[in-house]
Amino acid sequence: MTTEQAAAAELRGAIARQFGRSLHIRTLDTGSCAACEQEIRMLAAPHYDLNRLGFFFTPAPRHADLLLVTGPMLRAFAVAAHKTYDAMPGPKLVVATGACALGGVYEPDSFSYGSVDAVLPVDVWIPGCPPSPLALLQGLLVAVDRLAEKVPRLSFVAGGPS
Amino acid sequence: MPLWFVRGLRRGVVTTRYPARPDPSASALPTPPAFRPDALTGEIADALVATCPSRALARDGDALLFDAGACTTCGRCRDLAPAAVAASGEFELAGTSRTALCKRIPLAGEVRR
Repeated sequence: MTTEQAAAAELRGAIARQFGRSLHIRTLDTGSCAACEQEIRMLAAPHYDLNRLGFFFTPAPRHADLLLVTGPMLRAFAVAAHKTYDAMPGPKLVVATGACALGGVYEPDSFSYGSVDAVLPVDVWIPGCPPSPLALLQGLLVAVDRLAEKVPRLSFVAGGPS
Repeated sequence: MPLWFVRGLRRGVVTTRYPARPDPSASALPTPPAFRPDALTGEIADALVATCPSRALARDGDALLFDAGACTTCGRCRDLAPAAVAASGEFELAGTSRTALCKRIPLAGEVRR
């Protein structure tokens, strides 16, 4: 590992430690059916209570550390998505939420890019249609490096390594 | 005393302990499929690819390509071939790599070299 890579890893760790204590989330709907929004809204309910983990929703991107993007990124929304991303102070994270945002439901078309990473640099991917509040919590904790990601070890073969 | 306060005291803590302890409701969540390679023949794989509405399945020679990121957990593959497909029970699927969500499932009855 070169000194630059070591410095980058150290900086990433320092940012994750800061974000792990308190992280402000801005949600961005780029043309979803609102099922993902429904599940995101449930995170604030008493059963999930994301405030206990130091996550907070904020109404303005200027106060946000993390952009939670849902939907297949409509072409009409790309300018607004860029403006939202540019308005956030760095360091910042982008989380693509739901099968639409991951490119599963809509192909690139005249009306949509088909996935979020065509427009914004995505850091964490949360699959699901819609992802359950527990899956969203896991994704947020992966984004701030408080939980190890599981998916590289999964094989989706019954009886295989789980 | 307000009634909601008394009711809250009686019910105790309802908040999940999720990252520290597993959530009891997690087993009821819809989850992506897990495949049984010994029951997964070429014909079944082609039928699964044709029935998948979200382009999560594709055929690549002697393997089935499964994109867990594109899967909408609709369950049509489980209904079509219950012997070869079951629910995986995995909901903690978030990751930092999109390609890590794409898996390669070997098929049965293919010549292994």
